Amino acid sequence: MGAAIETRQLTKTYKSRALGKINVVDHLDLQVEEGEIFGFLGPNGAGKTTTIKMLLGIIYPSAGEGYVLGREIGDMDVHRVISYLPERPYYYEHMTGMEILKFYGALFGINDKDKFQRLLEKVNLAGDATKTISQYSKGMQQRIGLAQSLLNDPKLLFLDEPTGGLDPIAHTEIRDLILQFRDEGRTVFISSHELSEVERICDRVAIINKGKIERQGRLEDLLRGGRIEVIADGLNQGFADTVRAPESTVSFHNGRLIVDMSEEGDVNGLLDGIRDAKGQIISVVPRRRRLEDLFIETISEKKSGGEAA
Amino acid sequence: MGAILSISTTTVGEAIRRRVLLVILMIGVLLISIVPALSVLSARSDLTTTISSMLFVLRIVSVLIAIVLTVYMIPNEIERRTIYTILSKPVQRWQFLVGKYLGAVLALGLMIGLMAGVMLILFYFFKHPPMERMLDLLRQAILYFIEVSLLAAVAIFFSTFVTPLVNFFLSAGVWGVGSLLNPLYDSFANNQGSAPIIRGMAKFVTSILPNFSNYDVKNPIINPGVTIQNETTYYLGTAGYGLLYITILIIAGILIFDRREV
Repeated sequence: MGAAIETRQLTKTYKSRALGKINVVDHLDLQVEEGEIFGFLGPNGAGKTTTIKMLLGIIYPSAGEGYVLGREIGDMDVHRVISYLPERPYYYEHMTGMEILKFYGALFGINDKDKFQRLLEKVNLAGDATKTISQYSKGMQQRIGLAQSLLNDPKLLFLDEPTGGLDPIAHTEIRDLILQFRDEGRTVFISSHELSEVERICDRVAIINKGKIERQGRLEDLLRGGRIEVIADGLNQGFADTVRAPESTVSFHNGRLIVDMSEEGDVNGLLDGIRDAKGQIISVVPRRRRLEDLFIETISEKKSGGEAA
Repeated sequence: MGAILSISTTTVGEAIRRRVLLVILMIGVLLISIVPALSVLSARSDLTTTISSMLFVLRIVSVLIAIVLTVYMIPNEIERRTIYTILSKPVQRWQFLVGKYLGAVLALGLMIGLMAGVMLILFYFFKHPPMERMLDLLRQAILYFIEVSLLAAVAIFFSTFVTPLVNFFLSAGVWGVGSLLNPLYDSFANNQGSAPIIRGMAKFVTSILPNFSNYDVKNPIINPGVTIQNETTYYLGTAGYGLLYITILIIAGILIFDRREV
């Protein structure tokens, strides 16, 4: 499969009177493969939306180059096969759900009532097609946004905070729709703060901070190096002293030994040792690193690195 | 073309639902409606006062609607992020700007049409004027429509690079000065008694700014002694002048908007 998005040294510089030139997006090298759900993560002001706007040709890069579906960014032809759902989108409030689809459809030259109806059904709004947007809840507005983003049967969807500010039910509905998009063979580029959501649905992620990519790769690779917690009973402090290692923490709680060790440590050796010492293994729980941990670690590293510099 | 049409019809839908515009429109209709009744209090010729007052209200309210409608048009689309969804579709920036402008012109047409319709009906009902007078009023209403279409182009042009508040005063200022261009030209540029620098400045201003005073032919309507030489040429020329100016302003606006970071 080819790259759906590729950027090389993509940079956006703004001039500020107080701070001089600021690289909001700083020599960004990004690679998104076709057919994957890609999470684009970063704290507020990291440059996520600016990157999306450049990829959509809404703002112009100061330097570097970028390609969307093999075409240079800004190429109008590519706009026929991509779509975008902005963060907290606004739709003309006097329009009904059906009229919204007609309006955005007309921008593609699409006037197919059956298609509009099918899309409304797909996002569970068929029964609310004649209600105006002002009568829609936030979740419904987000769903009509997703429906309009599917009008052109896009190969690539840009979703900016698609679940931001939604209740848990709406969250689930949107997540299911996004997974459905991938099953249909579409590439989905999600910019989000909802790390647990991203962890559940994304194949690959990139973490951007202060305009620079700090981490990029497959989630399973990035989250590798988790911990394993072993709990055992019937052991004494002497045994605890024998299993201490730099990569593990050993403690007693209610008379039970708790060993928290690296996934790459000698787990089998520890379990054999417990058995040999006539201890009873209560539980062995692998704890994968969470995306949130990785995210905080990445941003903190940068912060402390920056402060040290 | 489909994209421009779709953007312009949506703009009309938005415009006719904006409360502030509807309030101004209702005030305009109300003032036009009470003018025939108030004119009986005037010592001057009843018909002259009525026509003059009605046209004054029609013009001022139309100008106010045109400015309020257009100064927020582009900034609102950016602030509400609707522009991002639209520009991520196969829509060029020029199509967006032209669509918004045409939508504004259509909305202005509807609003001026409503006020002019009320004016003509009430005028006919209360004053029973000759048909010639009715046609004069209709022609003046059409000229006002062209005038505010030109003013809308001025405001759309400014809205591509200044804030709505600045745009409000700039557009109102351009209209104010542009409405006085004919007297200004006669007083300074065309007056051999004026200092050369004043004459030069007056000539520069009158050739740069759109001449809105061309669109007010109230004087020949209310004063039988004042006539327009070759009416057809005048009306066609004035309409053509407006169209040319509108084209220049929209092209200039597109050139700026095309490079603007939104």
